[in-house]
Amino acid sequence: MFNFKKYRKKSPWILHYNAGSCNGCDIEILAALSPKYDLERFGVINTGNPKQSDIFLVTGPVTFRSRERLVELYTQMPEPKVVIALGSCTCTGGVFRDMYNVEDGIDRYIPVDVYIPGCAASPELIIDGIVKALDILEQKTKKMEKPLKLFQDASTKDGIINKRDCALKVGEKDEEN
Amino acid sequence: MILGLLILAPILFSFVVFMTHLVTRNILVILFVIFLSVISVFNLISLSSVVEIALPHYFHNIFVFLDSVVLIFFLWQGIVKKHALVIALALVQIILYCEVLFLVPTLESSDILVDNIASIMYLIINIVGGIIIIYALKYVESENFSQIKKNGFIAILFLFLGVMNFIVSSNNIEIFFMLFELTTLFSYVLIAYRGNAISVENSLRALWMNQIGGVAILLALILSISHYDTLYFDILIHNRDNLFLLPIVFLILAAFVKAASIPFNKWLIGAMVAPTPVSAILHSATMVKIAPFLMLKLAPAMSGFVSISVTLIGTFVFFTASLLALNKDCFKEILGLSTIALLALMMALAAVGSEQAINATVVLIVFHAISKALLFLQAGILEKNFHLKYVDDIDGLINHSPLTVFFIIIGFASLTLPPFGAFIAKFMAIESIAQEILKNPLYIFALIFITLGSVFLTLLYFKVVTKLFAKNVDFQQEHTKLSNYYVIPSFLLLFLLIIGIYVTFKMELLSSIQIITPVILIAVVPFLFATLLFKKAHRVKEYNCGEKEEIKLGMYYFNVSPNYKKAISIVAIFGMLVLIVGVML
Amino acid sequence: MIEILLIILAPIIGGFIYGAERIVRARMQNRLGPPLLQPFYDMYKLMDKQAFIINSYHTILGIMHFVTLWVVVAFVIVGQNLLYIIFLHLLSSIFLILAGFSVKSIYSHIGANRELIAMIAYEPILIMLAVAFFMLNGSFEISAIRENSSALFSIPLLFLAFLLIVPIKLKKSPFDAIQAHQEIIGGVEVEFSGIFFEFLYMAKLLEYVFIYALVMLFAGDSFILALTLFLAVFFLVNLLDNSTARIRIDHLIKIVLVIGLTLATLNIIGLSYV
Ligand code: SF4
Repeated sequence: MFNFKKYRKKSPWILHYNAGSCNGCDIEILAALSPKYDLERFGVINTGNPKQSDIFLVTGPVTFRSRERLVELYTQMPEPKVVIALGSCTCTGGVFRDMYNVEDGIDRYIPVDVYIPGCAASPELIIDGIVKALDILEQKTKKMEKPLKLFQDASTKDGIINKRDCALKVGEKDEEN
Repeated sequence: MILGLLILAPILFSFVVFMTHLVTRNILVILFVIFLSVISVFNLISLSSVVEIALPHYFHNIFVFLDSVVLIFFLWQGIVKKHALVIALALVQIILYCEVLFLVPTLESSDILVDNIASIMYLIINIVGGIIIIYALKYVESENFSQIKKNGFIAILFLFLGVMNFIVSSNNIEIFFMLFELTTLFSYVLIAYRGNAISVENSLRALWMNQIGGVAILLALILSISHYDTLYFDILIHNRDNLFLLPIVFLILAAFVKAASIPFNKWLIGAMVAPTPVSAILHSATMVKIAPFLMLKLAPAMSGFVSISVTLIGTFVFFTASLLALNKDCFKEILGLSTIALLALMMALAAVGSEQAINATVVLIVFHAISKALLFLQAGILEKNFHLKYVDDIDGLINHSPLTVFFIIIGFASLTLPPFGAFIAKFMAIESIAQEILKNPLYIFALIFITLGSVFLTLLYFKVVTKLFAKNVDFQQEHTKLSNYYVIPSFLLLFLLIIGIYVTFKMELLSSIQIITPVILIAVVPFLFATLLFKKAHRVKEYNCGEKEEIKLGMYYFNVSPNYKKAISIVAIFGMLVLIVGVML
Repeated sequence: MIEILLIILAPIIGGFIYGAERIVRARMQNRLGPPLLQPFYDMYKLMDKQAFIINSYHTILGIMHFVTLWVVVAFVIVGQNLLYIIFLHLLSSIFLILAGFSVKSIYSHIGANRELIAMIAYEPILIMLAVAFFMLNGSFEISAIRENSSALFSIPLLFLAFLLIVPIKLKKSPFDAIQAHQEIIGGVEVEFSGIFFEFLYMAKLLEYVFIYALVMLFAGDSFILALTLFLAVFFLVNLLDNSTARIRIDHLIKIVLVIGLTLATLNIIGLSYV
């Protein structure tokens, strides 16, 4: 019948989450959305609502405080979705690596599809990364993806998708170690 | 014959209720309510022309006796409770009444007159009132009264039905006065029924305010006898001369008092301390309907100045009462204020006097009675089963009792939305007022008041729904089981609403597609609730910025400062003064 | 025949209006903007998403909002009673508001409450508008309004008042506190996702059709005037959207009620004297 898959690419809606970044990359995102770089010409909208977005744009190295929220937001996004780690600190920990209060990069918690390095990543890179992500989005299925560290209790408690408690558990164990 | 049954049977039956025990009482009451409803329906169907009956003279002696007893009772209550206003007004009433007794009018007419409107009122009184009494059977059990007091409660409600049946069929202003005072008496007794300090205080307030209405009727009576030489409504209305409308204006004033329009609004709000069936039957569904009923009776006599000023006052009260309701947080008080608002609207429409406006009034009277009864029953359920009085506490009621929430939403929706009757009435109201604007631009203020008022009411109703309706994610939950005495009356009222829609459809007040479309749209929703469960879809939590905290939802209120309230009362009193003075000039 | 076609295509027409609007808005900001068909791409994409819901009441009421709005648009196209249409439109808004209330979500509640409050602002003006048309044509029927000549010159003040409420209904700044995308994330629509959000998306498109159809009513029987009015209002609303900041909901009500109601009242008083 009608192949909807190819339209995924044409209307990517973004959820931007700041997992403890220094705001450098956030400002670059705003620059990318502004008239000079005009991300909207790809149909991008910055929705700010996980339930309606396709691309999860994360900045920051995941501080302990933000990791549950990160996982919660990730699970509230309907499939298919892609995750972009924006900025060096999001990819690997960057300048914050091995600090006492951060995890090193979001890929310890959720599966990442595109890494955009750079401290701060420039708008051109962001656009490039998003366009890459769109190609990946087209390949994805509607099957649920497991967040990496949360394999024990993936989805349901009383039939509701709710993973935040697992995130907390894993995190706590890490702190003990 | 039928009339006799309608009036006397409830009165006699009330004694039976007083005597019998619990189970037999319940069965008897239910059977009797069915009997009354059948009679009133039969009356409407068989009524071919206007029925007129002249009562024999000894009846009048009974009425005079009853009246004196009631007035002296008021005086006595005033003295016992040490309330100066009640005493003063009772004395004024007694003096005026004595004067009435000395005047002998010559123009005679029939004492009882039953027309279409009266038979529709019978329907409301007996069916809606009867359903509320069935509900009261269970409700009163959970009050801590003695058994005699419980029986007495039901008995008084039946007495009241008889009196109401009489009042809508009376054509004699003197009899009307007596019955008016009797309803005041019932209302006084029932508000004070719980016997605590606040109910006594509020009942006294209700008493003296309603006494003002009594005084107004007596003044109207005296003026009518001295100027028109009659005490009958029909003669008064048909013989009116446009230079002397004072008796009619006083009757209108009495109607405003009974309908608790703005300067007198305190008594009806205070009356909400009474047990809920009382609020339902007296202060919302039936007794206060005397006011618009009286207006409908007087409508042909109103013209020009009186008509427009009553319309303006009525619509003004409609607007302000709905505004005031926005800062109330007690569920029953909200219902009470919206009753005041809608009663004022009915009176304003009756005063407009065009055929369409009269139709709108009747439709509004009927539907308002049903919807308000439904809502008050739910208020009682909230109070008894969930111990809730304030809308702010009603958090996620839908998780415990979807049925109650469903009825509340239907009740509110039926007061504003298509296809329900209240909407049709509002629709016709705007239409008829639009026609009046062409004749007199002053009506534009009535239009503004009506539109603003109805929007405020919609805001009010659905603001209340806010907290009830907040449903959790998971949907399998234990629901509270409600007693059949609570659920069945609600279903009966819902059924009445549906019948009402069918009747408006048959009467072709709107074109058929205009009624059918919203009926389908609304009816499809509960059906979808029941069938569509979205088994395949995943359930997720609400978006909460990823935060974990439990959400506590709040409710907002519109602050109306006391100065505003005073100003509103002053404007309303000023309007009434203008009405009286204008007519006198 | 053409009416049925128009009714069926109403969401698509709305889609084109919305698409054009996004381009116009982008050009006003000196950027390229998405393609014209962007709303349809969005819709196709939404169909393909995984279905997430909170509870079925919420979802069903959202769908009913869309259905009712479609009926409203159909009635406008057929030429039904204008006053009745306004009330039916109220019914559709109430469905949306109930949907907003039916979940335990703060944003949804704030949005629904604002929607309810904004009703105070636009509902009286819409009713006044209907009454003014009644006074001009002697009937509330839209078909009668369309047959008579343009009403624009007898009710210019009401047209201005109506212009005030267009941004409210289309959720444009300065009057977009109801949706306030950056603060309350779209208000009522926040909890809808995937295919269920699509219904709300299409309802938004239908809202465009409804509002612009009302704008065209002012032109009466002249098609050219209708088109001019449509384009003018379209341009004006977007210009306003791009050049103003959002105002608070209480200011919105004060401004719209005071200015709009005064204009409407003056105009109706004027009409009744002419
Ligand atoms: S990558 Fe560099 S600029 Fe970007 S958020 Fe991390 S530290 Fe800041």
